[in-house]
Formats: sequence, structure tokens, C-alpha cells
Amino acid sequence: MGTENCKECETTAEAAARLERIYEYLDGALSRSDINEVQEHLNDCPECASDYDLECLIRTAVKRSCTEQAPETLKLTIIERISEIKVEANHN
Amino acid sequence: MRPESPVRNVWGVVVVLLTMTVATLARPGEDQAQHVDSLLMSVDVNEETEAARRARFEREALQYVDQLYSAAMRMTRNPQDAEDLVQEAYTKAYSAFHQYKPGTNLKAWLYRILTNTYINIYRKKQRQPQQANTDTVEDWQMAQAAEHTSSGLRSAEAEALDHLPDSDVKNALQEIPEEFRLAVYFSDVEGFAYKEIAEILNIPIGTVMSRLHRGRKLLRGLLADYARDRGFNRGEGSEK
Repeated sequence: MGTENCKECETTAEAAARLERIYEYLDGALSRSDINEVQEHLNDCPECASDYDLECLIRTAVKRSCTEQAPETLKLTIIERISEIKVEANHN
Repeated sequence: MRPESPVRNVWGVVVVLLTMTVATLARPGEDQAQHVDSLLMSVDVNEETEAARRARFEREALQYVDQLYSAAMRMTRNPQDAEDLVQEAYTKAYSAFHQYKPGTNLKAWLYRILTNTYINIYRKKQRQPQQANTDTVEDWQMAQAAEHTSSGLRSAEAEALDHLPDSDVKNALQEIPEEFRLAVYFSDVEGFAYKEIAEILNIPIGTVMSRLHRGRKLLRGLLADYARDRGFNRGEGSEK
């Protein structure tokens, strides 16, 4: 079954579909049986396995690059602004 | 001796009691009066005093300032606008805090307000032309990304990716159309599930998935370009 799956990945369309599967796999969006299927495929298909590794790397890079710290003053400014607000939700 | 409904009822009571205890313990309270206040009103948001609500908001919502700021940077791309946006979003969130249902996902709720605030401000700012542009850009980018999908990024570049400066990654993310960018950001950085992203962006789950797929493919292609520009691509014979 393994090698057959690899042949399925030969066409661009198949490879693209497989890649989407890998996305969903990493997103935790697959059912148990789908997870098993993807895992089996990753074991058998070096092409998809390297796509998988790459996707993990990309996500790590995005996460690493996009974690920023707000300026220290921001929190204080927010607290100040909030204190000026009167919420009129207490009637009823 | 099967656990029938009376047993379940007992469990239900236990759960309620536990919940109440936890709710009580989870409130460190400012001063004594307010502490008593929040004990009495821990469940009823409508009866909460202004001071108690403000304290609860500061305690629960303000912990996400850095995260919202990071997201705001992806939206506005500059620190001053990002600060303004986060301030605005928090102000709105506080005004609507009585509508937030305690125990539900506060972070997602705040992100939704942030996104809405951004869209409103952004649309107002760009009220004039621009609109028709996105489709063309998108198609062009998609075509380019498709080339990369199967063979664009391989082991050499994969390694290079690890060494790409943060600024390259941010720029690449910034280059993909906004609706894709936000979906990818919420998924990769915040780890929101499709359903949560759907709620934040106010779109169907199917749309979330297609935006994520397309956004990720675009990002892949762009990162390959950056890796190449940095001269990281050695080997595989495709360069030069």
C-alpha cells in the first residue's frame, strides 16, 4: 500500500491534495482514522515526509518571528482609558 | 447497580459546588469590601458593580496585551498604529464586557473585537479605490506559489529557513493577502482551532480552511524566495 501511495503523489494535483492533508493533520483537524492514514503515508512517502518536516519548520519560524512584546506603557494607557469609561449596563 | 439519573444528579450538584468554590478561590479580590462583593456577585454579570467589573477585566483580559499587540502588528505593520489599535480594541472590549460570558474563550473574544476594530478602521481609511486589486494579486501569487509547492523548497532551503531572520519571515507573512494572513497567523501563532478562527473572523469553517490552505501555500513560496535571496540555496541544481 505504501509504494502505491507514493505513486499517487506523482501528479501535482495529488501532491497538492496531500499537502493540504498534512496541514489539517498538523492543525489537529483530522479524525482518528484520517490521522492513522496520514501517519502511514508519511512513513511510506519520503516526498510527503519532507513536506511535513518543512511545514513544521515554517510554523516554528512563524511562531518565533511573530512573538512581540507590547511597549510597557501600553498596559498602563489601557488601564487609564478604561477608568474613564462608564458602562451603563447595570440597569435592569 | 448502574449509575442512573439520581447518581448523575449528585454529580451535577458536586460539579456545581466545585465550580462555585473554584470561582470563589479564583478571585483574589482587591480590598475586603470588593472581595465580598465579588463573592456575592460572582455569577451575575448584570448585577456586578462597575469597580468589580473593572477589576475582573484588568485581571482577566489584560494578560493578553502582548499577544494582541503582536497580532495588531501583523495587521497594521507599524508599532504606533498597532498600539492605537490595541488600545481601541480594549476600550471596546471593556464597554462590552458585560456581554462576555464568563467561562467561554476570552482570548478568542478579544481577538474578535480586535479584528472587527481593525476592519472598521481600515475600511474607513481606505474608503476610496483599491478594492478590485486583491483578486489579481492573489491569482498571480497563487500561480507563483503553485510552482513552489512540489519542488520549490527542499532540504537545502528547509535548512535555510531555520536561519532566516525574523524580519524576512514577518515580511513574507505581510506579503500574503490580509484575509489569508490573519487565518494563518491565528492558526500558527495562536493555535486557534478552525472553529475559533471562524468565530474570530466571522466566516464559515470551510472558508477558514480554504484561506489557511491558500495562505500557507503562498507563504511557502515567499519563504522560498527569501531563502534564495539570502543565498541560502546551494545545490539541488535549480538555482542560477
